[in-house]
Amino acid sequence: MALTKREIITIAREDLAERMGVGEEEIETISYEEEDFPNTALGALEEDEMAGEMITSGYRLIFDAGGEEYEYRADGEQIRLVNFGGSNFLIYE
Amino acid sequence: MNRQNFLPHIALAVVIVLIAAFAGQIRRWENEQKNNPKPKRGTVAKENGYGGGKRDSRPQRSFDSDEKILVKFRTGTDISRIRNITLRFNDELKDEFENVKGWTAIDDMDDADINDVINEYKSLPEVESVQGDYKISIDPQENYLPVLYTRTEGEDAVITSGKPNDPMFENQWALSNTGQEGGTTKADIKALEAWAKTTGSKKIVVAVLDSGVYYIHDDLAQNIWHPSENNLENYYDDELGYVDDENGFSAVDNNSDPMDENGHGTHCAGVIGATGDNGTGIAGVNWNVQIMPLKFMNKRGFGSTSAAIQAINYVIERKKQGVNVRIISASWGSTQYSKALEDAIRAAGEEGIIFIAASGNSTEDTDKNPHYPANYKLPNVVSVAALDRNDKLASFSNYGAKTVHVAAPGATIVSTWIENGFRDASGTSMATPHVAGVAALILSKEPNITVEKLKERLINSTDPLPTLKGKVVSGGRINAAKAVKAE
Repeated sequence: MALTKREIITIAREDLAERMGVGEEEIETISYEEEDFPNTALGALEEDEMAGEMITSGYRLIFDAGGEEYEYRADGEQIRLVNFGGSNFLIYE
Repeated sequence: MNRQNFLPHIALAVVIVLIAAFAGQIRRWENEQKNNPKPKRGTVAKENGYGGGKRDSRPQRSFDSDEKILVKFRTGTDISRIRNITLRFNDELKDEFENVKGWTAIDDMDDADINDVINEYKSLPEVESVQGDYKISIDPQENYLPVLYTRTEGEDAVITSGKPNDPMFENQWALSNTGQEGGTTKADIKALEAWAKTTGSKKIVVAVLDSGVYYIHDDLAQNIWHPSENNLENYYDDELGYVDDENGFSAVDNNSDPMDENGHGTHCAGVIGATGDNGTGIAGVNWNVQIMPLKFMNKRGFGSTSAAIQAINYVIERKKQGVNVRIISASWGSTQYSKALEDAIRAAGEEGIIFIAASGNSTEDTDKNPHYPANYKLPNVVSVAALDRNDKLASFSNYGAKTVHVAAPGATIVSTWIENGFRDASGTSMATPHVAGVAALILSKEPNITVEKLKERLINSTDPLPTLKGKVVSGGRINAAKAVKAE
């Protein structure tokens, strides 16, 4: 079953709150937009990961925590945190 | 004469007799013309007296200036009466059809408007029915050609004219671009022309290193490689032990089943080798080939470098055991360099296996920002960029004057999908199997060509495109016909 928009936002907020060590109420959702990404890992490969070079539709989520913006990408099957401390993280599949 | 020569001799004799009979008939007609000169009616015949209206896929009917009409006289109208009528109209009775009672063929000797001639005969009380002697012809403008091909070498076919009967072939602009959906006519890989020489061979095995293959797909199952059909036992690996690889190999979850749960690998496999001219779905670049399904990416479409290496190792082992796997199609990658992966691909090259790889979809110059494995500087690696249906570099495609070798169609490509489906997809992933497919076509005719020569052929047989100048090594789009020396 593909993840709903609400589920994607909930999972991503929980993940960011935990990483930042703050309460979820301190995470603000800035935007949630459809976008085409360059590969099946939504253009956010983890280290040592390979992905299919097929344009893949998904969503780009931007959150604000403590005045900093953080980016997540999702496609209903997976959620990835982009460039957090220089690395990408697959947080849900 | 031995039994093998008997049939060809009989066929030759029949052809000679028919030619002689036809030549004799022509001489008789010429003599009749000389002996019975007819004055002209004084009108010019229409070249296409029948036509107009909506075109369809059926053969179109038209008149020639020397066409006849077919007239059915009422019962009781004897032959002398018919001859008198034709003489009155300055026409000539050409034939009576013994097995089609009442119908005769009449030649309008003065080339009048065929509709006038028909109306003249219609007005006669002796005539029951009249029609033009329609010439059955093909409308070349519409390219509605029937499927006509001859089979050679058993199951291997070449197509002599027309196109395959796969219902979605009309959507396969990459193989035959007729300008559909705003495309540019002939902005394709010249598959129809290549198929005049070869539609592939079951002797060639192409490894699709991907998310696996939906190997029971109606349009693929016939072209899937199975070790048992090649008299091979299950695969043995020191670490894995015996592996049931009847449908290919999986490096995911160690369950040995390469069934595709994502779709990406199945899409690539279809481009390379969906069964052609089977009345189902699409036609692959190869109608006949053996696809070796390899799974290293999971149902989400991503996998590890180590799994990719494990699958490449499998291919090399099977090659060493005699499987004629000469191509690995790799529609995946990342920007991370891996010496281990590079070494694995090099080892494949040393076994005579070419490695066709996607250049990536980040609109980047890979001369400056490398994308692997396409960027490994190995003699067996071919890096592929993607084109749209107008021969332009796809908006997403990577490029590189020194590091991307060729371009191939890769935008809105229809192919096979999991659950017996079909769908469009875009990416250098879709361009890569077109190149792998052309490599397989080359190998079907030149099975002993070296990897280096094969790579050279793919590059040197491209059609130069202005939009690719300074973007890819070859500066062109792959051309299957040139690659197999069909043109």
